[in-house]
Amino acid sequence: MLGLIGRRLAAAAVAAFLSALAVFLLMRAVPGDIVGQMLGQSGNDRTAEAALRTFFGLDRPLYLQFGDWLWRTLQGDLGASWYQGKRVTAMIGEAFGVTLQLALMTLLVSTLVGVPLGMLAGIRAGSKLDAAIQAFAMLGLSAPVFWTGLMLLVGAVAAFGWSPPFAWMGPTEDLADNLSILLLPVISLGLLQAAAYAQFVRGLMVAELQRDHIRTAIAKGLPPATVYGVHALRNVLIPLTTFVGLILVQILGGVVVIESLFSLPGLGRLILSALQGRDYPVVQGALLFVVLIAITVNLVIDLLYGLFDPRVRGG
Amino acid sequence: MDPWTIGRRGALLGGLAATALPRPAQADDDLLYGPRDPEARRGGRVTVGSLIEPPALDPFRQAADARIRVSVLMYQGLFFEDQSGVARPLLATGAEVSPDGRSWTFRLRRGVKFHTGAAMSSADVKYSYDFMRDARNGSPGAGDLSSVEAIEAPAEDVVVFRLSRPNAALPMTLTNKYGAVVPKDFFADPNSGTRMNEISVGTGPFRLKQFRPNSVLVMERFDGYWMSGQPYLDEITFAVMPNSAAMAVALQSRRIDLAMFSRPQDTQPLANVAGLSVRRWPSLNQKTVDLDCNYGPLKDVRVRQAIANAIDRKAVMDVSIAGYGQVIGTMVAGMQEAWGVPIAELPNQTVDLDRARKLLADAGHAGGFDIDLTTIIGYDWMDPAAVTIAEQLRRVGIRVNIRRIELGVWIRNFRAREMGFTFNDWGTTPDPSLLFYRHFRAAPEGADFRNWNNARASALLDRGQEVSDPAQRRAIYAEFQKILAEEVPTIMMFSSDLLTVNTARLRNYAQHGTGWYFGLAKAWVSG
Repeated sequence: MLGLIGRRLAAAAVAAFLSALAVFLLMRAVPGDIVGQMLGQSGNDRTAEAALRTFFGLDRPLYLQFGDWLWRTLQGDLGASWYQGKRVTAMIGEAFGVTLQLALMTLLVSTLVGVPLGMLAGIRAGSKLDAAIQAFAMLGLSAPVFWTGLMLLVGAVAAFGWSPPFAWMGPTEDLADNLSILLLPVISLGLLQAAAYAQFVRGLMVAELQRDHIRTAIAKGLPPATVYGVHALRNVLIPLTTFVGLILVQILGGVVVIESLFSLPGLGRLILSALQGRDYPVVQGALLFVVLIAITVNLVIDLLYGLFDPRVRGG
Repeated sequence: MDPWTIGRRGALLGGLAATALPRPAQADDDLLYGPRDPEARRGGRVTVGSLIEPPALDPFRQAADARIRVSVLMYQGLFFEDQSGVARPLLATGAEVSPDGRSWTFRLRRGVKFHTGAAMSSADVKYSYDFMRDARNGSPGAGDLSSVEAIEAPAEDVVVFRLSRPNAALPMTLTNKYGAVVPKDFFADPNSGTRMNEISVGTGPFRLKQFRPNSVLVMERFDGYWMSGQPYLDEITFAVMPNSAAMAVALQSRRIDLAMFSRPQDTQPLANVAGLSVRRWPSLNQKTVDLDCNYGPLKDVRVRQAIANAIDRKAVMDVSIAGYGQVIGTMVAGMQEAWGVPIAELPNQTVDLDRARKLLADAGHAGGFDIDLTTIIGYDWMDPAAVTIAEQLRRVGIRVNIRRIELGVWIRNFRAREMGFTFNDWGTTPDPSLLFYRHFRAAPEGADFRNWNNARASALLDRGQEVSDPAQRRAIYAEFQKILAEEVPTIMMFSSDLLTVNTARLRNYAQHGTGWYFGLAKAWVSG
């Protein structure tokens, strides 16, 4: 097992290094830099340009720029934003807090809505209720998140004269405002994920209910709540656990759109605005963070597989 | 229309003021930032929705319009850019010019305090403008002060600017677009620029309370502000809005009190909403098509003229901003009456397809040619405008391929003078030298982004800076504009009006033609 951990950690380190290098080079390959952004259409004073390039270290050879950044990164220092002056690690921490809260709330809502709907549809397969739930699922999966979000926003003000506040408020600052800010984004994202859940769980439920032990339980006269809620659900939960992980990854990937639509200062918007402003330390740091999350998740899955399957452990 | 905003009459009065004044106006606090309202009351908070956000708040080193819009409430220069074209004393109280026009003496306002609590003196003013004009400090405004040889502070409340050549636009240059007066030695720490995202050190009516990127910027009233009894508002929150639809929703639900829309037509659904007021203001902005005179067929002036003769500006304006603007010739709408040449007196302003075809044939392009037209992602008006222009140019055989690029890439191309055939969207402070010089003066004095390199035009632009007599300046810039229209390095199509929507509780807000939020300094809330 230790050998497996060592091999996987080494592979993860190589992947992280290559990702960091790729991000660094890609950012330099995109035309335009922060100097142009700062000076705008104000003139082409070469002295000012040169001074700013020197200030940001952009006049140094690329390998030195990369080497310095990598060395500091290995020491846990991602540098400071060229615009804000704040530490990149602090900015990532703040932004990821927003994104994580949105993702977890979406996961909770979509699970609480999608799983029961899927079970109901599976139990009543072929009924009108099943058709209605499947129609909801199709609608949820087909509607683009940005469209759903926009419709909810416009609909809320038309129906209730209400809209969420647009100035972000953290849960520790004002919980009521925080929840009202996240209400529509969570519904927008949650609708899509609940639809995915409902379809997935329905399929599992239909298959499960045709199995012998369920038929036996029904024949024995066990109450429906016990048959469905205990015997069937227990087996459905195993593949569902894997699915939850996939959904969470999907939510984290999809929040960029919803963060932009509702002005949420999350990780997606942080990366997007830094990209537009050519704030290299922020882009490099934030993308490296995203890559490390992906690598960590994969690493944990690999190790768990190794734990459960001796063939993998042997390499 | 608010009486303070310039309409045609206001612009005319401004023009008369400009032509009658041999020197900058003397201090008149009632004319600063907006009209004074005798009913105004202190207190209250407002939220302003904004589609754009400042990348950072350093007024010395951030050229972004989004920065200027808000930083004018925290930082001040020696003068205020009254949109009638007059530079009104702000931190100065007046100016005297030496007979040779090379020495300007400014008397400073007394009792001015920085947000730090320290009193402002001439040493601070000298330090601030010396910092700005030193190109090694990387200020985009350094080029505007290239005529300044030295700044002296002979007394506590007097500064003297010594120039290498006369510069009639100097007071307007010392307004609020770039730079400001900050405490002496503030920039001794190399990280001071980014510290300006946490604290403000200006002299303006509001000071920074919080700047949370991608979310909000909050300012609070500066109690030590030099203008007695002002500002009225306790606090202003600028909330970053994702799009116009969200902004409209936020106005209807009263989450925000004020918003300026980038596409004027987006205000139409709000026109009849009770409790909301949609107002239209003339702007100092222009939407243009720029023509790189070193780019393919555009090298030939006849091709550029043909394009100008084939474009129907009114049709483009109607399609892209639903007619909420004014077709222009060679001057932004807000300055037309003071400085512009009537369109009828300029060449290449009307649609003449026969002439366009003949010019193309003379240039050896009788069969037309293919060309890329660049639009910038995020500038919504450009997309319908591009399709319309492509269709209009097709009538004379020019086949347009529309190319959308990201703003950062566009800025790089623009600064590298590799713009090709592109849309542009820019504004000015209300002085013709500040409008034209850096864009059209041949290098190295100007940036000449369009590779025009026109000696006659450059000489006129130099002369326009040197002459202080307003009537002579007007004649010089009129001649320049005729050359500009004849040679077509740019096609100034139209100025888009500024459309603001505010809730009934927000009173006395006047929108400045630059699009900057000066008006909040005199706005107040009722109830």
